Amino acid sequence: MNDGFLTIDSVTVRYDHYVAISKISTKLALGKFHVIMGPNGGGKTTLIKAIAGLVAYEGRIEMDGLDMKKYLKKHPIGYLAQRGAQFQSFPLTVYQVVEMGRYRFKESRMVRKEHVMRYLQEVKMTSLAKRPISELSGGQQQRVLIARALATESKLMIMDEPLTGMDPRSQSKFYEMIERIKQEHSLTIIMSSHDIGFTTAYAENVFCINKHLVPHSEAAKLLKEPEIRKLYGPNIHLVEHHHLSSGEEEDV
Amino acid sequence: MFEFLSLTFMQHALLGGELIAVVAGIVGPILLFRKMSFTSVGISHGAFAGIALGILIGVSPMWAAIAFAMGIGLLIGFVSKTGKISEDATIGTFFAFFMALGIFLIDISKGYHVDVMGYLFGNLLAISSSDVYFAAIVLLITVFWYLFRGRATVYSTFDEDFSRIVGIPVDVDYYFFMLVVSLVTIIAVMFVGVVLASSIMIAPSAASKMLSKKFSNVVLFSILFGMVAVFGGIAFSFYTNIPSGPSVVFFITAIFAISLGIKWSRNFVKS
Repeated sequence: MNDGFLTIDSVTVRYDHYVAISKISTKLALGKFHVIMGPNGGGKTTLIKAIAGLVAYEGRIEMDGLDMKKYLKKHPIGYLAQRGAQFQSFPLTVYQVVEMGRYRFKESRMVRKEHVMRYLQEVKMTSLAKRPISELSGGQQQRVLIARALATESKLMIMDEPLTGMDPRSQSKFYEMIERIKQEHSLTIIMSSHDIGFTTAYAENVFCINKHLVPHSEAAKLLKEPEIRKLYGPNIHLVEHHHLSSGEEEDV
Repeated sequence: MFEFLSLTFMQHALLGGELIAVVAGIVGPILLFRKMSFTSVGISHGAFAGIALGILIGVSPMWAAIAFAMGIGLLIGFVSKTGKISEDATIGTFFAFFMALGIFLIDISKGYHVDVMGYLFGNLLAISSSDVYFAAIVLLITVFWYLFRGRATVYSTFDEDFSRIVGIPVDVDYYFFMLVVSLVTIIAVMFVGVVLASSIMIAPSAASKMLSKKFSNVVLFSILFGMVAVFGGIAFSFYTNIPSGPSVVFFITAIFAISLGIKWSRNFVKS
């Protein structure tokens, strides 16, 4: 499966008369970590929702040669939406949130519990299993949602700006965890992000959209300003900074 | 002290009222977390138009109200889903219309003496054994729905997109939920009237939401608070000779106020 591609072929999404993305075509190698970049309103979330089958689209999306709509009927995908307000007030525990990922599986309560605890273990959250998700920090909530995505046993994980609101240390830990679970589960990961620095350090492929696909080459070249200006406009300037790895102590 | 329990009409009132407290306690928290608290108001006012139509055409007002309530529940859901507007906006548009329609239909029902106040504010003490049977049937339907679709409906309330991805039929579940809410609202209308029905549907859930951080506990407390309010309200109404519906609503509101006080105290201690 990892030799195949997720093919996006001339995909257009309209909300009534508003065109959110137009004729986007690209091929994403399975088993890799892909990042979608682009300005706010550029269509990143819309493209992610189209891949996840959550919005209607024109064009074609194929997973390893199989039409995505047919693929989704048989295989759930791991999906992390932008965090919404419901996480702040809904009285579900961490365990119950991860349990959602097991919905399709016909299994006994005991077997389900084993799976849920195993995936919580993978994101180092077993000790918080009984805590309401609303009481966790943003970074901890994202780890729970990753455990939920893993619980679907999908080979494709899609994440919509999962790093929003995280400090640099948490972002660094997040990327390291993503890298680890990608290897352990042979995952294909598609993520949208605004963070150019971390993205270019960790992603194996970056593609940029601003309603249309913006031509690009390798991730590292994104750091050159002309490429960035294509996306974010002429007034953008890059400032270099050092990323802490999760083991490093922060210099205050 | 509890001599009122020996009276048959009080037994009917208590039994019927407690059944409503249980079904309202089951669906209320989901209404609350979906930000659809106003739904029971829309359905109950729509039911009033059904009652009026039943009187006009000479069929049982309650059966006409049940049919109307279910139709309105589905209509609110359909208009909200397809028009991409919130349920509360849809209800705000429709409920005054249905109330006006009800008044109009009653006005043209010449030759009938209609107790409009009875329908608007209900009379728990006039509950018959057949009303209690009907409430028991609604309880069975609600429990059946909760056992089979409750978990999925809670999931789609929490995260609709992820629920779709894992294969939950979100839209079908939504319409089933609206039908169950319609049935629960209609028995609340039968017992406490059109105007007070939404109190028994929502206030116990709102009170329990303030005290618990687990969904199952919110449901449990919601049922418990409703049952306590019904018992207290009916007993209070018996001894003070005030109308039973408002008496129950007073107790529910008192429980809400106590929960709010506990929540404030907790926040104060934390800070």
